[in-house]
Amino acid sequence: MTATTDAPAMEVGRDRRRKEDHRLITGRTRWTDNLSAPGMLHIAMVRSPVAHATIGSVNVKAAQEASGVIAVVTGEDLADEQGTLPNVWSITPEQKVPPHPSVAVDTVRFAGEIVAVVVARSAAQARDAIELVDVDYDDLPVVLDTRDALADGATILHPDLGTNESAHLVLDFQTEGAAGNVDAVIEAASKDGIVFEREYEQQRLIPAFMEPRSMLCDPTGEQIVLWSATQIPHVLRVLLALSLGISESKLRVVAPDVGGGFGGKLQVTPEEFITVLVARRLGKPCKYTETRSESLMAAHHGRAQHQKLTLAAKKDGTVTGLKVELEADMGAYLSLLGGGTPTLGAFMFNAIYKFDAYRFDLRTAFTNKAWTDAYRGAGRPEATFGIERLMDDFAHELGMDPLELREKNWIRHEEFPFTTVAGLEYDSGNYEAATAKAKELFGYDELRAEQAERRDRKDPVQLGIGVSTYTEMCGLAPSRILGALSYAAGGWEHASVRMLPTGKVEVVTGSSAHGQGHETAWSQIAADALGVDFDDIEVLHGDTAVAPRGMDTYGSRSLVVGGMAVVAAAEKVVEKAKVIAAHMLEASPDDVEFAAGAFSVRGTDQAKTMAEVAFAAFAAHDLPDGVEPTLEGDATIDPNTFSYPHGTHLCATEVDTETGQVTIRKYVCVDDIGKVVNPLIVEGQVHGGVVQGIAQALFEEAVYDESGTLITGSFTDYLVPSAADLPTMVTDRTETPATTNPLGVKGVGEAGTIASTPAVVNAAVDALRPYGVDDITMPLSPHRVWRAIQDGADR
Amino acid sequence: MIPARFDYHAPTTLDEAVRLLAGAGDEAKVLAGGQSLLPVLRLRLAAPEVVVDLGRVDELRGVREDGDTLVIGAMTPHAEVAASDVVRRHARVLSEAAATVADPQVRHRGTIGGAIAHADPAGDMPAPVLALGGELVVVGPGGRRTVPADDFFEDLFTTALGDDEILAEVRIPSHQGWGGHYAKFTRVAQQWSIVAVAAAVRTEGGSIAEAKVALTNMGSTVVRATAVEQALVGAEPSDEVVRAAAAQAAEGTSPPSDINGDADFRRNLATVLTRRAVLAAAGS
Amino acid sequence: MELQHRFTVPASVDTTWELFNDLEQVAPCFPGASLTSTDGDDFAGTVKVKLGPISLQYNGTGSFVERDVDSHTARFEARGKDKRGNGTAKAAVRTVLTADGDGTAVEVTTDLAITGKPAQFGRGLMQDVSDKLLATFVGCLSDKLAASGQPAPASEPATEESRLEPASAEPSPQQPAGRRPAEKIDALDLGLTVLPVLARRFGPAALALAAVATLVWWLLRRR
Repeated sequence: MTATTDAPAMEVGRDRRRKEDHRLITGRTRWTDNLSAPGMLHIAMVRSPVAHATIGSVNVKAAQEASGVIAVVTGEDLADEQGTLPNVWSITPEQKVPPHPSVAVDTVRFAGEIVAVVVARSAAQARDAIELVDVDYDDLPVVLDTRDALADGATILHPDLGTNESAHLVLDFQTEGAAGNVDAVIEAASKDGIVFEREYEQQRLIPAFMEPRSMLCDPTGEQIVLWSATQIPHVLRVLLALSLGISESKLRVVAPDVGGGFGGKLQVTPEEFITVLVARRLGKPCKYTETRSESLMAAHHGRAQHQKLTLAAKKDGTVTGLKVELEADMGAYLSLLGGGTPTLGAFMFNAIYKFDAYRFDLRTAFTNKAWTDAYRGAGRPEATFGIERLMDDFAHELGMDPLELREKNWIRHEEFPFTTVAGLEYDSGNYEAATAKAKELFGYDELRAEQAERRDRKDPVQLGIGVSTYTEMCGLAPSRILGALSYAAGGWEHASVRMLPTGKVEVVTGSSAHGQGHETAWSQIAADALGVDFDDIEVLHGDTAVAPRGMDTYGSRSLVVGGMAVVAAAEKVVEKAKVIAAHMLEASPDDVEFAAGAFSVRGTDQAKTMAEVAFAAFAAHDLPDGVEPTLEGDATIDPNTFSYPHGTHLCATEVDTETGQVTIRKYVCVDDIGKVVNPLIVEGQVHGGVVQGIAQALFEEAVYDESGTLITGSFTDYLVPSAADLPTMVTDRTETPATTNPLGVKGVGEAGTIASTPAVVNAAVDALRPYGVDDITMPLSPHRVWRAIQDGADR
Repeated sequence: MIPARFDYHAPTTLDEAVRLLAGAGDEAKVLAGGQSLLPVLRLRLAAPEVVVDLGRVDELRGVREDGDTLVIGAMTPHAEVAASDVVRRHARVLSEAAATVADPQVRHRGTIGGAIAHADPAGDMPAPVLALGGELVVVGPGGRRTVPADDFFEDLFTTALGDDEILAEVRIPSHQGWGGHYAKFTRVAQQWSIVAVAAAVRTEGGSIAEAKVALTNMGSTVVRATAVEQALVGAEPSDEVVRAAAAQAAEGTSPPSDINGDADFRRNLATVLTRRAVLAAAGS
Repeated sequence: MELQHRFTVPASVDTTWELFNDLEQVAPCFPGASLTSTDGDDFAGTVKVKLGPISLQYNGTGSFVERDVDSHTARFEARGKDKRGNGTAKAAVRTVLTADGDGTAVEVTTDLAITGKPAQFGRGLMQDVSDKLLATFVGCLSDKLAASGQPAPASEPATEESRLEPASAEPSPQQPAGRRPAEKIDALDLGLTVLPVLARRFGPAALALAAVATLVWWLLRRR
């Protein structure tokens, strides 16, 4: 073997089609609902149709006698075992956490809460039997808005807490040179500057992942095995053990292929608790798969905030202070992250701008609705929306171009690394470059000219331009920071890279992909690191028995943290292989070079391939002293800091003033996500992310009626747009590598969603400024837009 | 979701279907394309004991000309109606409307007869049929009868169809040479009409000789915009003139208010869409 | 949701008041409704709601919560559950009568709360459907009163006690209003004005109930 063997081309940066797609797209895989176990029983849930009531009685007799029914279980039956669903983030030491039973015992607090469980031989029989469970509800008054929940005399959802407020978090920040805290800065601005106040609404959204939640628990082996369509198999395992008193080593959790999550499957759910408890009780495998209508109603919702922003600035538009007051709707109970989700936005309202002082004031409150938790962006889209709407509105107030206002206030390229007023150090960025590129691709000046022209001739179809210059914090997260924030777990990630004797590779990752393409990206990373063929690498994940260590996937963390763990583990493999190779080549390790998958002695043509070394490590016939057999590397990475992708999104919308219809004419995004491992994957993430952001701006809202029923209970009314409703996007990138990890990557999973919503809303509002419109509540339905125009005319 | 149990029959002739239906009393439902019934069954908003599936009754399917009348079998899928040159020639607005129903998957299963019998106020089929003065042929144990569209749509989800009757045919007098346009307003592509307008226009010597306009989702049933029709007789097909006529589109209607828009918004939409539909029909 | 209905009838305020306070008169007017039992101010029954393809059956109870003969204001409340667990329905109905010449102006205000599936999947149609059911209910009452537009039986004082008499005059008060044995059913011809309207909308079920309604009306006349 010589060193000049054919070497695989550089993988990182290559447009590789995804390995996992064929089986995912054709469905030739085992989704959780496809799984079967011998003697398996089926679970169906009896859910409350009412939003707030005490449970008078639960009559299960008819259901128990129904054909095929094995058991009917109520909250009373499970009261001693079910414990409470966990909340792992105390955003304040005084945070009030109500008990959260999986099956309601005496009170239901949202429509969709589980009140009884039917187990039957077939799914159809279980479905038939739930109709026979007769529950008597004594209605209680319903609280549907945080404002009502926090008002004096409000009906208290959790009487033992004495209040509907779960927590009140205030974070006060100021820079060294600041004249004082944000109150002082606002005071100063009121005298010789500008104080600008705005209120915005973040509507309640439903993650609406494609695959409904499904779980199967098999209690019959030595370990209890739970298969669940979850984003968090590792976290779930720990929490199941802690909450249900099951020995952790007796528990195995498997996330098979999962059809999307977007944060919606980042949860420890009543359904999972129930499936495990019931399976254990009956001693038989039990499966539960929710229907879509159950999913929309009872899987956690996202966003749902009232926002009030107060900006202090100098007369020339230089911003000095920002005060943010939020009321975040938690729903009926605290979810896994609970108030932690809006708290993640705390560090992002200041965004890319330089403020002297900043305050984040958050109140979290309970209402009789589904609980809320992370949804793509988790707190950061909300923050970006607030500040980017504010900047566009402020620019209009000043009569300044919105891009000009931003440029006046953003962190300049030469100022990086920059520590923001909120205490985060942004390592790198280039807002100027991204913006310039976006403007050019967009045809900014031409579109502004067209806008003016349409205004002049009072065209019934008006044109608007919206800006969003965002950054986000991802790569969650440095464990010590999580500890400081009182989040119960850490933010590290683990990988093992294992050379098999035949030269093939297994990469075991603690990341838990549910559509992100990790199998492909990790293969690309490992292929380059080891000089091995992309197709010779297998990525294993999602099963706590196979990938025992991990912190799962959310918060755009997997590439930045998980990918780095793969790099580090592969480096260890190369290091060990080098020593073995040197021994095989009878040279000193210092004289051995590694390139293109082979170890060669410098200055000679003697070489050993990685495959040969792997076999030698396996056979162990002649290993150097102190070197253990087999060739494997292990690494756990705890990031030092967050990573900060950024970008500029520009949106042009046409607004038909006769009907209120908003159409996106052009959408351009230039994102800087550091180094790119796989451009195709990045495109996919950007497209998907932008679409979800546009959907929030124009289409989606979870609406409850006055009785607390979710009236957007199906996709007929909860409007998830399809390709037919969306524009073709122009996407591009600038590349400012992260300085905080060896690959220079920043993460992209949520960026599109974070950026796009304000860009679209800003564009529609911009179109209608001459009509006296300065804000429209999302989603910008034609009705709301038309109504805003009518109201604007009246003013 | 899993429907409750039911007895299923798939007759191959219309007579057999009528017999089965008569024998089952009021606990039976007719299954056409299933695009409205199946969701109801799966959500268990109804649990009929008997379902009579017309999918194998071939005689109910197809498009043909019968002298000056366009005849469409009740079990003809929307996709077939939309693709048919015969329909396009005789009833342009119906052809257009059929092409807007939901999405391709639904259009290949859903049928014109099923949609009309269902009489969803937001459904697209009644408006063109009403506008063009169609007739519905109904078959029951008592025999065959013909009901003019004017008398067929009685109320919310309620038609002149008896529980033991089956809609067999849609008959539409030919409007060959007329322009037609279906203007449908939705937020997302596959949604039910928030408001829609079916317009058929005959022009003569450069002006509108006659116009027929019907509105979708402006009340509990489809309605004719008779005030608009009258105002358009002899009118110039210009934006200004048609705009004035269309301003009366919402007269006599009682549009619903829901999360897609309140009654005022719908009234506004009706006038805007009527103008656009009439202008397009006049120009086409 | 709140629904309002108003109508005038050529019957005196007292006759109208009597009708509105008689459960066995009022309840069958609601489309698809049948009483299973009455007990003073309380009642139990079922309501079959059939509209288009949707068919639900609510079982429930209700009672009169207020009767103020001076202001001729009556309120009753009812709540029921769908028998297949599809949700609940709650109604609070308030009727106010005012004299209008020889007749009576009736105002019916209904506060209706529907939970579960019809609200979840109803595409916002529940308002319309409820409105129609209420309109039919009100129309039926109106028709009854119009047909009874004859001098009110002067010998019957409109006292609380006598209004409760109809139930106790029965051999078995628990029987549904329809099954009154040995009563003649020759009042059907009066139902001809009522029947076609109900039959057209709600078919055989309504026909049966309308027959019941006219029967009850006939009985009322007899007293």
